Amino acid sequence: MAKLTIDGKEIEVPDGTSLFDACRDARGEALPHFCYHPDLSIAGVCRLCQVEVEGMPKLTIACNTGVRDGMVVHTRNERVTRASTQILEMHLINHPVDCPICDQAGECGLQDQYMKYGLYDAEVEMDDKVNKAKAQVIGPHVILDKERCVLCTRCVRFCDEVTGTGELGIFNRGNRAEIGTAPGVELDNNYSMNTVDICPVGALTGRDFRFQKRVWMLKAASSICPGCATGCNVRIDHEAGRIYRLKPRYNPEVNGRWMCDKGRLTYKAVHEDGRLGEPMVAGQPGNWAGVSGAVADLGAKEGFGLAVASPHLSLEEMYLLKKLAGEAPVHGGLTDADRGEKDKLLLDADRTPNRRGLGLLEIGQGDGSALAAVIKGVTGPILIHGGDPAADPAVTEALSGRDVVYIGTHENATSALAAVVLPGAMWAEKAGIFVNRDGRLQEFRQAVARHGNAREDWRILAELLNVGGKEDAPGSLKAVRAGLTSSIDPGTDLNQLPERGFVPGGEVR
Amino acid sequence: MSRSEYKMLSARFDKQDGHLLSVYEADGGYKALRMALTSLKPEEIRDVVKESGLRGRGGAGFPTGVKWGFVPEGSEDVYFFVNADESEPGTFKDRYLLDYDPHQTIEGTIISCFAVQAKLAFIYIRGEFGWLVDRVQAAVDEAYAAGYLGKNILGSGYDLEVIVHKGAGAYICGEETGLINSVEGIKGQPKIKPPFPAVSGFLNKPTIVNNVESVASVPYIINNGAESYKKFGTEKSCGTKLWSVSGPVKNPGVYEIPLGMPFNEFFHDYLGGMAEGEELKAVIVGGSSVPVLPASEIMNCNLDYESLMNAGTMLGSGGMIVIPESSDMVELIQVLMHFYFDESCGQCTPCREGTGWLHKIVKKLRRGEGTAADIDLLEHVCNGMAGLTICPLSDAAVMPMRSFIDKFRPEFEALIQETAPAEPVSRWPRGEQE
Repeated sequence: MAKLTIDGKEIEVPDGTSLFDACRDARGEALPHFCYHPDLSIAGVCRLCQVEVEGMPKLTIACNTGVRDGMVVHTRNERVTRASTQILEMHLINHPVDCPICDQAGECGLQDQYMKYGLYDAEVEMDDKVNKAKAQVIGPHVILDKERCVLCTRCVRFCDEVTGTGELGIFNRGNRAEIGTAPGVELDNNYSMNTVDICPVGALTGRDFRFQKRVWMLKAASSICPGCATGCNVRIDHEAGRIYRLKPRYNPEVNGRWMCDKGRLTYKAVHEDGRLGEPMVAGQPGNWAGVSGAVADLGAKEGFGLAVASPHLSLEEMYLLKKLAGEAPVHGGLTDADRGEKDKLLLDADRTPNRRGLGLLEIGQGDGSALAAVIKGVTGPILIHGGDPAADPAVTEALSGRDVVYIGTHENATSALAAVVLPGAMWAEKAGIFVNRDGRLQEFRQAVARHGNAREDWRILAELLNVGGKEDAPGSLKAVRAGLTSSIDPGTDLNQLPERGFVPGGEVR
Repeated sequence: MSRSEYKMLSARFDKQDGHLLSVYEADGGYKALRMALTSLKPEEIRDVVKESGLRGRGGAGFPTGVKWGFVPEGSEDVYFFVNADESEPGTFKDRYLLDYDPHQTIEGTIISCFAVQAKLAFIYIRGEFGWLVDRVQAAVDEAYAAGYLGKNILGSGYDLEVIVHKGAGAYICGEETGLINSVEGIKGQPKIKPPFPAVSGFLNKPTIVNNVESVASVPYIINNGAESYKKFGTEKSCGTKLWSVSGPVKNPGVYEIPLGMPFNEFFHDYLGGMAEGEELKAVIVGGSSVPVLPASEIMNCNLDYESLMNAGTMLGSGGMIVIPESSDMVELIQVLMHFYFDESCGQCTPCREGTGWLHKIVKKLRRGEGTAADIDLLEHVCNGMAGLTICPLSDAAVMPMRSFIDKFRPEFEALIQETAPAEPVSRWPRGEQE
């Protein structure tokens, strides 16, 4: 441990801590900075985190200085403040200050730090500025504005160190230096949009989010990415019922500070055409009041013959579905559906968020012919919840002539052959728990209102429990979770999952 | 003391075919190497160089033997770089050393490498010195053929390979970590320190980077001993120094004189004073990056590290630029500011933006569009650049800029419009809304 004094405050930190981190601890806020990033190597180029260390003649940058026992450091004295203000001025002299049309405005490092450390009058005339290329498309997801760039090199280091793809570089020198890609190279990797996140200014903007919304209007909900089994922690930025973007949420146990581009775009499915918005009975739009009767008419009063779950469901929904099935078999859907290529960072080959949840509740999966055999082996109506098992021809064939109740979110082969279709909620429209590939239980929360007359899936299942005359139909999600907790005994109250999730038994896989 | 006695580095500059191995050997060349490899231990060489007081001749003046001592004891792979990326405006001494007497530097390189136990050395030559690459390569080939390089040098069991590397034309690659980056094949720009190259440099291994003149001094020190070297110079500025003198003096060129010689003596006895019709106005004594001194001040200076430091400038690389009365100081500083603006590598914000800004303001003054506030602005920009960057290029721009204003302010003021334009109205008046 090293004891040091920062701005008169004594602080003790482990040896090897960077002075930057020690200063953050002591000050309660980070030093001004652009190039420092906790997950990237030290570049030391923005020169903003200057501090005065007693005994050293020059100011030094905190990010590249290790703590030493007995160090006396000043971060707010006149000398340091003057230096950081002047360096900030250097960052801004050739900046176009086009905040009114910049997507970064509102969450911009230059704006924030100018308000904190700047507040001087600009002395460079607009027409004296260095002009560089604006709005260059450098990849499928990212646009580069070279004028706004402060050359902190975070994006370059990200592509060198995290993805190892090295698409970006700094070209030219002096104040002609600019970020760019080599001729014929595109910033096209599955993590390219992280460069937008770590860009402290509006130089890199996401093509998907550009000009869609001013950021200060956005509301945030914490959620889990449904794109694969990794379960990256995300923040859903939304406003007035519309999702505008997903941003990674820091969880050192799962995704750190990153997420993949595929995952970022999973929200698109929430607003795309083909969503189921009304209950359908025999191909005709109905309403929820008529659902109980319609399902009862299929013979569901005596229970379903089979319930088919899906790895897209939340753990609570799987649990309720199992409860609804009672003595009847529960199948987990198709083993081989929703698979893809795995990459070496975060993206899993399993493109469903909750296959481990099926395992936790001992619901087995199978391929199309296995499921078809199960279907043929039962009598009575069949409840299919989520997924699209009828996409498999064997399943379609087995389901022909059977009474199918389908709870789903999108029109697909299964909804087309179902007698009763009940519109459920997508993950961003409801709350729930996913179990990721490491067995980590993570909670996602509702961000936006449900599409049309879609309902939360647990409510639909509770209604179906009522059809069957089951007396213990839960009245709230909290009650569902309480039942789930006592049913599987994961070692924690599922109504109070910790922020970073919970692994039953505390061990990963 | 006669002038020829000073010549420990430049003895063969005037010699016919002085660049050939045979001539160098006839003059006692590679004797020091034989002595070093056969009768001295590496630490003894480091000690004698430390004892000699030899200081880095590239500009910073850091004691060479001390720098060698920073290589961690017992390091496996150590690399050695001879810095011949001589790009400082006004400096052309290393060019002479390599052009007229390359074997002296090569011998010094081998001894220096042995002292730090390096197995591979690079001689990094400024790209614009194209012919010099051929000259040095030819000398290196001769040294290989004679058994001074390669495996088991002179039967000592010591191996050394030397690669002659040609730079690609960036001033900043003369900064030692920029030079290392450039040889590693990445963008030539300085690395953050710590770690220092002596601990982690080329390929993250201990690396020593020494200026040509420093390395070329080593054979003399080994041959004659530290005491003999210290006979020349002052107590803290030992030995002789090459000065490359440009400007309208009678005899411009490269001179070797002992450190501590009064400028006055050097100016009159060696340079022959100013050329016909010219009068001395000022001198930039150590290469373009050091503060300028007006004639009245430089005339009282001695040419050694301490005296020049006390006079408010630096010895630097010994690139002496003599400025006549007929020169326009603002025009001169514009040339220098263009140089630093053009050569800034662009990684550190204060240097990247500051060098360009200084250049713009000076240009504006020379266009006759400047105001009194612009001179203050120059000082303000300098304050935001000095001492705040990874490498000294930012300071190298600030030092001449500040000193030019400081010493020749009337010339800047003369460019300002007689009737100052009306105070510019802020387009975003702050506080007026309240």
